[in-house]
Amino acid sequence: MAEEKKPVTRRGFGKALAQAGAAAAAAGPVLAQAQAPAGQAPGQPAIGPVVVGNYSMTDQLVFGGIGIRGRGMSDLRQLLGDNRVKFVAIADVRESAREMVKSTVDNYYKNNECVMYRDPAEILERKDINALLIATSDRWHGPMAMWAAQSGKDMYIEKPAAMSIMESYALADNVKRYGVVYQSGAQRKNQYAFEFAVGLARSGKLGRLLEVHADTAIGLGTVDAGGHGWWAAETPEPDPLVFNWDKWLGPCMWRPWNSAYPDRGRGEFWDFHAGLLEWASHTVAMAQWAADMEHTEPVEYEPEGGQFRGDGIIGRYTINCRYTNGVKLVLRNHSWRLLGSCSNLFVGTEGWVETGDSGRIEVSDNLKPLLPTKQGTRYDPTAEHIREFLQCIRSRTAPRADAEKTCHTHVTSHAAWISAQLNRKLTWDPAKRMFLNDEEANRMRSRAYREPWRMEALATSM
Amino acid sequence: MPQTPVQTQPPQGAPGAQGAPGRGAGAGRGARVPAPQVPPEFDGLVIWKMEPAKLLALVKDPNSTVFQKAIACKKLSIVGGKEAVQPMAALLDHPQLSCYARFGLEPNPDPSVDETLRAWLPKLSGRRKVGVITTIGVRKDAKALDALTKLIDDSDAEVAGAAAASVGMIGGMQASRALEAALGRTRPPVFPVVARATLLCAENLMPANRTRALELYTHLSATTMPGPVRQAALRVLNANTQAPPGAKDWVPPTGEAAEKDKSGFLGR
Repeated sequence: MAEEKKPVTRRGFGKALAQAGAAAAAAGPVLAQAQAPAGQAPGQPAIGPVVVGNYSMTDQLVFGGIGIRGRGMSDLRQLLGDNRVKFVAIADVRESAREMVKSTVDNYYKNNECVMYRDPAEILERKDINALLIATSDRWHGPMAMWAAQSGKDMYIEKPAAMSIMESYALADNVKRYGVVYQSGAQRKNQYAFEFAVGLARSGKLGRLLEVHADTAIGLGTVDAGGHGWWAAETPEPDPLVFNWDKWLGPCMWRPWNSAYPDRGRGEFWDFHAGLLEWASHTVAMAQWAADMEHTEPVEYEPEGGQFRGDGIIGRYTINCRYTNGVKLVLRNHSWRLLGSCSNLFVGTEGWVETGDSGRIEVSDNLKPLLPTKQGTRYDPTAEHIREFLQCIRSRTAPRADAEKTCHTHVTSHAAWISAQLNRKLTWDPAKRMFLNDEEANRMRSRAYREPWRMEALATSM
Repeated sequence: MPQTPVQTQPPQGAPGAQGAPGRGAGAGRGARVPAPQVPPEFDGLVIWKMEPAKLLALVKDPNSTVFQKAIACKKLSIVGGKEAVQPMAALLDHPQLSCYARFGLEPNPDPSVDETLRAWLPKLSGRRKVGVITTIGVRKDAKALDALTKLIDDSDAEVAGAAAASVGMIGGMQASRALEAALGRTRPPVFPVVARATLLCAENLMPANRTRALELYTHLSATTMPGPVRQAALRVLNANTQAPPGAKDWVPPTGEAAEKDKSGFLGR
């Protein structure tokens, strides 16, 4: 039976983590590692992943950060808690964010050494920095990742990774070209319930795999898919030393300043939003992993139902996709078993498994003997995900959410979103990286960058 | 065959009152900054639903607002044909709309886009010139290589860097010669861009002209190259060429350590 505990939301977890981090920071790094909480062995860090082995023999990994707020602060606290990491600098176009990160880092290290930059280019030029934590908004993830790769820096970068099909390819190509280690923030790849479900599918315990389902709730239902949004009323631009609007917009199309954009987040603005990928970054990644299709994409995409207007907002939806081997990938925002956000369902000829962020797992009757004796509870697997990233930096191997797999997750999700926006079935050629016999869809594979930004890549829509 | 997974729970995940601006991703997660009122002149959906002819009329009309032209260019990026090229190109020197014009032109497959962009190149400067250079690179317009090669020596470093990057994206033998020559004469901040562009060019040449590609990689493996570019080139050379003669700095151990190690690992 599932443990009955007070439900912990993602926000609530972050808050608890922040309090733990603040307490550790107040105590100082040495004390934070020496005084373990109840149930934890002495000597282990109070926050962050447990570090074992003789890491004191090796140099520390020197980290910088770009665009760290909300979700990024949770990542940052995990990094700070790992004694392999030395965090030395933050770049942000927003003064308040720069200062918040510096304050957190300096409090943790009990010094005043975290350097602040207004321009990310300055942090990329620092040769002493090995790796970056990048947690900007969506529109900057692709360009920043490519710049980081071109600067030879490894990176842990929040999702979604890219705003278009071609940006997804360009990102993966750049990471491969420069041989850096890339881990996207698809942390559920290191969460037990999802690992268990994927394991059932990949080990053959579901029989022949028939369908993999991904909950893509947020995105299509809320983003103005066709209208390309609206502008808020123009207001005087802020002092660029306090908030650099031009750099905040980055590669997105120009629009007059209004604080609604940064204050409300990427929200409903097509320019700032990667469509389905708010959740698909996790759930499609998991489905591709379960189906052993992490290095390709489905070849067919078909929106189902009559609610796709093709020119505006879309409500309840299902998008049926099919891989070359006949396995179906179903993207939908309805009819889940309430196992928590970001749910996945995998169906085979001999059984099925569904799980979600609750940590609970449901399976067909014949598979119940395989279930863990104690159902899981919701937890944030970011610590594990970051620890895997740090280990891959040392081993120069690919982590679970590397750029290549992330690319294919994103191409799949963008292709599905394009089929929904056009409200018609599309056929995709993974080798040619194009839709077959649909010029409009092909035109939607990329988004031009606003000048002076550019994507140095061979992958373009031409 | 086991039971079919029947979803018995009510639909979940469809985020409430969708459709109204303000119900954005994350709505319902907690208190958020309230959505601002959308001024009627800034509501894009009406324009988005227009037929191409009406979109074109909006772009051409001097009385259209910046917003109207912007959204029209966005939609024309999907539905615009040859007739949309010149009206959008006329916005390439507009301070706010040049990016929208490029957004509309860049994915348009009509060849007149390339001719038009080449014609605009000498008429522009600064950021807007950088934008057109970048779009030419994305479109892989080989006919622009001569003009772009000259721009690698432009006094504006942003223009020069964009030109080098676009030459690399276009690729081919002519591009490889232009970039290799530029490696010898450019200085930072343009030089690192030229090096990255040469790397792109080499990668692009590899399937069709391996010999030339390996020449470029060898050039890029010099110690004078930017570190990340040099390491990238070395990885390709390691994987694709014979190993060079042994490292000249390495000599076998001598003295006591060598004597003790004569019998090999098991004798230690």
